[in-house]
Amino acid sequence: MHIPDGILPLPLTLGGYAASITICWLCIRAINKRQDPRADVPKAALLTSAFFVASLIHIPIPPASVHLVLNGLLGALLGVFAFPAILIGLFLQAVMFGHGGLTTLGVNGVILGLPALAAAGFFRLRTHGTSGHIPLPKRTAAFGFLAGFAGIGLSFLLFALILLTGLPTHLSAAAERSAILALGLAHLPLAIMEGLLTGLLAGFLLRVQPAILNGV
Amino acid sequence: MTAYSATDSSTAPFMHRWDPRMKLIGLLLLAFTFSFVTNPRVLPVMITLTLAMTAVSRYPFHLLLRRLRYPSLVILCLIILLPFISGLTPVVEWGRLTVTREGLQAAILVATRFFCIVTLAAVLLGTTPLLRTIKAMQALGLPSIMADMALLVVRYLEVLSADLRRMRIAMRLRGHVEQRRPWRNLPTLAWLTGSLILRGYERSQGVYNAMRLRGYGHAPVRSGEFTANRGDLLALAAICAAAGILIWLELTL
Repeated sequence: MHIPDGILPLPLTLGGYAASITICWLCIRAINKRQDPRADVPKAALLTSAFFVASLIHIPIPPASVHLVLNGLLGALLGVFAFPAILIGLFLQAVMFGHGGLTTLGVNGVILGLPALAAAGFFRLRTHGTSGHIPLPKRTAAFGFLAGFAGIGLSFLLFALILLTGLPTHLSAAAERSAILALGLAHLPLAIMEGLLTGLLAGFLLRVQPAILNGV
Repeated sequence: MTAYSATDSSTAPFMHRWDPRMKLIGLLLLAFTFSFVTNPRVLPVMITLTLAMTAVSRYPFHLLLRRLRYPSLVILCLIILLPFISGLTPVVEWGRLTVTREGLQAAILVATRFFCIVTLAAVLLGTTPLLRTIKAMQALGLPSIMADMALLVVRYLEVLSADLRRMRIAMRLRGHVEQRRPWRNLPTLAWLTGSLILRGYERSQGVYNAMRLRGYGHAPVRSGEFTANRGDLLALAAICAAAGILIWLELTL
């Protein structure tokens, strides 16, 4: 779900940078309002490293294999640190592996980062509302699934919207529908798997280190 | 990607010694100018400029090929599909398949812009160590929270990769076999990812304490690490001129 360099026109790539810088500035402003903003930097950085490494694990889904994106889980655990963390991860992927792109860094940041922030909001809901009668482990797993699934689902919607509007040629309505359907079908198993994985992982972390679920 | 750089040597090619701040500005300026180009007649100029910069950098060709291998596969699908699914003017027809002129032009445009930008990025960023590039970004105004995070992420990527390798070996030694159906592997994968996250989380407290003991958050940030000489500024001016010429050609041809 990374858009490489060369596909999108200049207004979209510049717009992506403007949007990413604005969202990042808002996140950093929220972090700077904390009593000691630097205290959580190592925690956020090491978790980002762990996510980066975990995202390199490939899962075979015949006839191909997919790698985890984990933006929903990253949002759930890092909160406002998620957006800067995703931008850093995307930059490193572009520089180290050529995955994604430099001109599309802003757009890719929006595609993966905004859903991560949304996933953070969804995951926080597990401690609010009328779901108090459901046991905590089940609630945590259910909201973990929601965060993981929403992370990929929303990213896919943004990805398809930006890619199809940014192509340097006209696609017919039928071709656009087919492309969205094909991309959607290709990403649905990944969204379900990430949802299940995030749910299982949230349950695991609740058992062994519940403090980590309160966010950075 | 390991940076191929020889910044310590005064005889190293200019691209390796060029002030990383100027290099970053030049790279972004050229990359965005390339993404502005839509006129097919400007593409040869873009390719010539990219090849000239690659030659000047003396970046090893085999490293460049390795660098282009993975991204090329990603974009290949799009380049193959575009002539068939987009455009209105048919050029060639094979049964129900029609290749259109607009689709072909779009595929050539996307492929050229992609290879030029990725090659430039490989050559310019590959000739500076990654940590130095991050420090240059900080000097250009990247917030210190993000710069600190980026430096720590790079520092601990290798450590956590080694942890993951060890955990996977331990899993296999204890009899773990990957199931054919991917969802059967999910619980194991979740515990594995969870253990990796836990290791990072637990290590972070020690890292923070060590950083505090060394003055993190108290010592002033060094600001004079980079200095641009006349050669650095002239090289940036040349890049600006090249970008200006490309924009002029795009608007007038």
